[in-house]
Amino acid sequence: MTMEIRIMKNILDRNQNKADEVRSLLAEKNVKMVNVISSPGAGKTTLLERTCEALGGKIRIGVIEGDVTTDRDAQRLKKYDIPIVVINTEGGCHLDSHSISKALGMFDLDTLDLLFVENVGNLICPSEFDLGEAFKLAVVSTAEGDDKPAKYPRLFSEAGAVILNKTDLLPYTNFNTEAFKADLAVINPDVPLFNISATRGDGLQAWLDWMEKQLNSL
Amino acid sequence: MHEIKIAEELSVIVVDKAREAGLSVVERVNVSFGQLVQIVPDIFEFAFREAVRDTVAAEAALNIEIIPLEMRCLSCGADYNPVENYPSCRTCGALDITVVHGKELFIKSIEGE
Repeated sequence: MTMEIRIMKNILDRNQNKADEVRSLLAEKNVKMVNVISSPGAGKTTLLERTCEALGGKIRIGVIEGDVTTDRDAQRLKKYDIPIVVINTEGGCHLDSHSISKALGMFDLDTLDLLFVENVGNLICPSEFDLGEAFKLAVVSTAEGDDKPAKYPRLFSEAGAVILNKTDLLPYTNFNTEAFKADLAVINPDVPLFNISATRGDGLQAWLDWMEKQLNSL
Repeated sequence: MHEIKIAEELSVIVVDKAREAGLSVVERVNVSFGQLVQIVPDIFEFAFREAVRDTVAAEAALNIEIIPLEMRCLSCGADYNPVENYPSCRTCGALDITVVHGKELFIKSIEGE
């Protein structure tokens, strides 16, 4: 005879439990982990390059590079002489807390202050998987259009900071900065927004100062 | 394509619970997804079929309930369904709002014998 078994359970419980574990381990080791999420090509790696360049001398930075395949992003960061662990998802469109937990085992966490996770380029899937980070950093570039917060509310509502990159390209796009800000203000009114050009360096200082300040306050 | 990973996690839970309950066949799996999770039901169905292949749930029907986004205004207390994602309160216009429903990712139950 057919019977119904009530379950009422979060399907991603296993991911959440592991993320909670990661979060308490990082708290214990006093390492701040930032989950960097954007579309492919928005400038995550360039942002990390500039950040390592500017803060590498004062802050002990590590990076987890999530990529579907290749270690090209990691190669770009090698010159900063920081510990880097590559996770190739082999087709997977996001990182999960189990792969982060494994990657953390390859770092000496006692020698780190700040750990960036460069997630797989994708605005939907990575938002769904808590990695145990201190906060999510959403990166969007002017070339992608100003409608991203409205179209991907999950990421932008949960982000602890937002970076609008490639502001040097504004004259060549139809990106409406005011519309972008207005959408973001509705979705996440208090989120800090940094307008930068990672390639040229415009606006970077505000981001760097803010990031440095977070290390002392998170 | 977060549907694939979520379908895999779902199949693990379904098979576990079926074993615990002594079910030899799972006929139906009931899940609830919030609107904000942005699951595409057709893609999820496809991913689920792959995930449960060769298990007790291989033939199970999948019943997906999509839960609409519901917000609460922290300023005036009104609950409302926004017209678009995350607009301000429909009663008082405040931006001080929170998600009541829309982030669900639940397995409700399984049916079988």
